[in-house]
Order: sequence, then structure tokens, then C-alpha cells
Amino acid sequence: MSIAAINEQLLRAVGVGIAVVRASDLGFVFHNQLFAEWFGTPGPDAALTDAIEGLQPDDLGPLCDEGLRYSAELKIKRKRRTLVFAINISQASHLNEALLVVECQNITRIRELESMIDSYSAMVERNTRELEREKERVERLLLNLMPRSVYEEFKTFGVVTPQLYPKVSVVMLDFVNFTDFASRTDPTVTLGELNDIFTAFDRIVEQYGCERIKTIGDAYLAVSGMPEPAPDHATAVAHCATRFLRYLDRRNQSHQHKWQARIGLGTGSAVGSVVGIQKYVYDVFGPAVNLASRLQVFANPMKIVAPDEMKEALSEEFRVTDIGLEDIKGIGEVHLVNVGDELGARQPSGRF
Amino acid sequence: MPQTIYEKYGGFSAISRVVMTFYEMALDSDQIGDYFAEVDMARLIDHQTKFISSLLGGPASFSDERLETVHRALAITHDDFDEMGALLKDALEQHGLSEPDVRATLAAIESKRNVIVHRDAA
Repeated sequence: MSIAAINEQLLRAVGVGIAVVRASDLGFVFHNQLFAEWFGTPGPDAALTDAIEGLQPDDLGPLCDEGLRYSAELKIKRKRRTLVFAINISQASHLNEALLVVECQNITRIRELESMIDSYSAMVERNTRELEREKERVERLLLNLMPRSVYEEFKTFGVVTPQLYPKVSVVMLDFVNFTDFASRTDPTVTLGELNDIFTAFDRIVEQYGCERIKTIGDAYLAVSGMPEPAPDHATAVAHCATRFLRYLDRRNQSHQHKWQARIGLGTGSAVGSVVGIQKYVYDVFGPAVNLASRLQVFANPMKIVAPDEMKEALSEEFRVTDIGLEDIKGIGEVHLVNVGDELGARQPSGRF
Repeated sequence: MPQTIYEKYGGFSAISRVVMTFYEMALDSDQIGDYFAEVDMARLIDHQTKFISSLLGGPASFSDERLETVHRALAITHDDFDEMGALLKDALEQHGLSEPDVRATLAAIESKRNVIVHRDAA
């Protein structure tokens, strides 16, 4: 078989539609089977521009004159189908006659797949964004349940190691006659009141760098000195306590329901950890918490009671008065003090 | 969670091949071919792949309202719908879905008949 014969067979067999036309009149010299399938068998007098609709003689002008390569994408209707062809035309010559070689590739499927990929990547991106938002929501929720540093540990290791914080202070608040109020008021009203007040408390707690641990019914518990150590933990909780009372005082002046609270402060050590596996609760335990809880019960309405050991830390910033030695249930005899107004009413912003 | 038909055969890539085969046949069908003569095939294949995927447990969703809106103007008849089902069955079998899975897929499509077929169609 001669090289020419092989070449011709190759042109017939290849998966590209191929035609060779004369540059002078665009008449066909050769076309392969695929070309005929796509564009019909050209008649003896047919020109390339007749066979391929959408191809204009003008398009080929520069090609013949300047020897450029012509490339285009043409859409052609074939019995209900719109086919997309990539058409390349380049110059050649044979026996001194200028020829044009026309290559046609059916890229319909490629275009379809491309548009499908675009559409799916858009869908995947959308889903990813939704997941991302969902993740943020979960994170925000968990951050409400535990301090950030604890959350980071939890996220990294899946567990939280209980940690002992030797120097923390605790503020515990409880409302006077809450059970009574709750029993004679619509629960939604009770809840609304608590929500309103606790939200304000949360803001105060945040302002002083403390951490709200939990609310149990009408009781409110916040700490300072954990999980991040704070040298001024005693004054921080005392500031919270006085602000709580001041807030309630002011709120009572304009609201229908008057709230009175007792506050106990405690200081000492505490352990913080996530309790539970399915239902995470970050909780604190220890002497400081017990003390605050007991002193809160002991306190008179709208008063703050603290152990004597906090006196030194507090007396610079608060009006502290001695209560004396008292027998506290479950703890024993403790010297107690009453924490009054802030001296000089320093603004909380001064701390930062 | 039990594996969905969508996952079993390899997700979008498998479904899109079925859909492409289906449209090759649909275009040649004298019953329904003309519906597809003037449409943007790339978009239609994309939508149909997502639609079939959603019926088979894949990550896409179409509301019945939307299906109805896009088909309303076409006045599709029950015969058209039957032809579509027959061609789809063919395409599913060609791509090697098991007989129960073909049946499950067709049943899922069948459940959308009253959304897709025109309300006044006989």
C-alpha cells in the first residue's frame, strides 16, 4: 500500500469530518464519510459554503489572502438536534493549486458536558455554603453552652478534660419570692421577664470579662477567673453583683413586675468541665460555687453577701461592711461581709 | 442509612449518561421528539439529570409547582408521558440498572404524571 493510499484511508477513518476544497472556487476535491454524514454528500458543483450552512464566503477571504487559519464554532440544525461543530480551515497546496483543508469536530456532547459541570459545581458550591452556614450556627450554639477556650478543646479532642482553677470568684443571684410569682403568673410572662433580665445580666457579665455558666430556674450563676485566669476576679464578680442590683432597681421603677434579688459571692477553687456526652453542659463545681450559693440564700433582698476573705480585694472599690461570724449550713462558721455601692462609681469601661 | 439508587450506580455521572441516552432516543421518537427540537439541550440534560437524581435520592430537589410550571405550556398528553416512560426504561436498562431499580425509578416518575401531563389532556 502506498503512503498516499494510507493517507487517504486515514482521512476516511479518522473521527473528524474532513474535506479538501479548492481555494479558487471552494469546490470539493475530497471529503470523508463523517463529513458527508454531518453535512450531506456535496454535489459535483457544490461549494464548501453551500455544504456548511452558516459559513460565509467572506469568512474565508482573509484565509485565502493572508494564509491565516480559520477557526469557528458553528451551530447546525439536524432533524430536531442542534449540533455544535468546531471548524478549522487551513491552507495547503497540491501541484501548484491552492487548497483548503476543512476539519470539523462534533463538540455537541463536550458543550453539554461543560454546561453540566458548570451547573453542578454551582450546586456543590451552594451546598458547601449552606454547610458552612450550618457549621457556624452550630458553633454559635455551642459557644453559648461553653467558653470559647473549652469549645476549642472540645472541637480538637472531642472531650474536655476537667480542669481545676484554684483562684476564681463566683456570683450567684436568686430572686425573692420567685416561686410565688411564677405560680400566679402566666408562664410566658414569667419567661419573658426572666429572659429580659438575664439578657441584661449577660451583657453586664460580658462587660466585666466574666463568664455566665448557667441559669437554673430563676438562679443566675457567673464566674470570673476561669477558664482564663483573671487577677481581679473578686472585684469583677462584685462589680457584676452591684450592677445586677442597680439594673433591677432601675427596671423596677418603670416595669409592672418588681423584682428583688439576693446575691452571694464566693471565692476559692472550682472545677470546670463539660458534663454529658449527648447533652453538653459546661458546668462548674467546687468550694467557690458552694459558698456563693449558700451566701446567696443568707443574703437579705437586694443585698450582696461575700466571705470575709474577699474583703481585702473589694474594700478598695466597694463600700464593704462587716456582718460578723455566721453559721452557714453545710459550710460551718464563716466571717461575712456585706458588699455595698461602688466607691467613686468607676465606669466599667475604665477596666479596658 | 440504606444506599439510594442514586448512590448505588455512581451518582451524577451515571445518571447523566442515562439522561443523555434517553434524549438521543427521545429526539428520534416521532411521538415526543418535537418537544425537544427547539430547546437548549445542554440545559435540558442538566435539569433532567438533577430531576432524575432527586427522584432517586440524590442531592437536588424540584418542587411539584416548578415541574408543573415548566411543563404547562407544552400541553403534554398521556401518550407522550407513556412514550417517555418507555424510552427511559430502555435507557435505564441499557445502562445496567437492575430490574427492581428500573421499576422503582419508573414508579418515581409515574408519581409525577399528574404534575407533568397537561390537566385537560385525555
